[in-house]
Amino acid sequence: MSDSSPNDGALDRAERDPGSVATTALGDGAVQIDFDEAYYPKDAIYGAAYVFIDRCYVHLDRAGDRRVRVTLRSKTGAPLDTQALAGELQNELLCQAWRLSIAAENRQLIESIAARALGGAAGPPGLDELLAMDIDEASAFEDPLGIAMSWEEKYKKKGGATDDAAPEKSPADEPASDAEKGS
Amino acid sequence: MIQIRFHEELYDALSIDEAVKTYEPYAKLTAHREAGGTIVHVEALEGGADEPLIAAELGNFALGRAVERSRAQTPTAKEGT
Repeated sequence: MSDSSPNDGALDRAERDPGSVATTALGDGAVQIDFDEAYYPKDAIYGAAYVFIDRCYVHLDRAGDRRVRVTLRSKTGAPLDTQALAGELQNELLCQAWRLSIAAENRQLIESIAARALGGAAGPPGLDELLAMDIDEASAFEDPLGIAMSWEEKYKKKGGATDDAAPEKSPADEPASDAEKGS
Repeated sequence: MIQIRFHEELYDALSIDEAVKTYEPYAKLTAHREAGGTIVHVEALEGGADEPLIAAELGNFALGRAVERSRAQTPTAKEGT
């Protein structure tokens, strides 16, 4: 049984097209809407049905091969505007299908952003992590780039013979030699 | 007594079990698997709530859990809501 009004062109077309949507008003104020899974994925039907859970009693069933039947029944017992409800469900279904499509298209981007956010949220290592690091006496003072070395140590001549042979002058000796020159 | 049929492709068994356990205090519920789905029989307790009400609420609960489970399994679906 179908109760679509002449004004409701979209629903009329949907009823005539067995490939998309079929709406049936039940006698007890409930409405049944059949969808083709080829047009609307199951996840979209789930999402749309979920939106109506707070307002209606919702039941899903198979209405044939690759067709899902959604039954909406009022929670309050008041008669439903079945056409309006069916229209709302179809709108929600389109919305859910579109969102799914967008999410699928942008899945890689979403995953990479989430991964970066999680990586950034981890922050620098904490005290516990530093304490848990395996640092022994040998590895703690490794200096492969020679950063901790003094300039003299780093650029000392390989042979070192001239430096060693030259007598070391103490700063105290310098003024004495100048005084000698002057006299 | 009212019976509700849950299609196996639309309602997972765990969701139905959970719904039955949740509404067990309010009605006598018996579930059995058949080809293509699960049938739940709802029988009101003496002086308890109406059978149609419990059956409808149980159906909504099972659907809600089935949708939530489905979303948890498919990350793309979760993004859409």
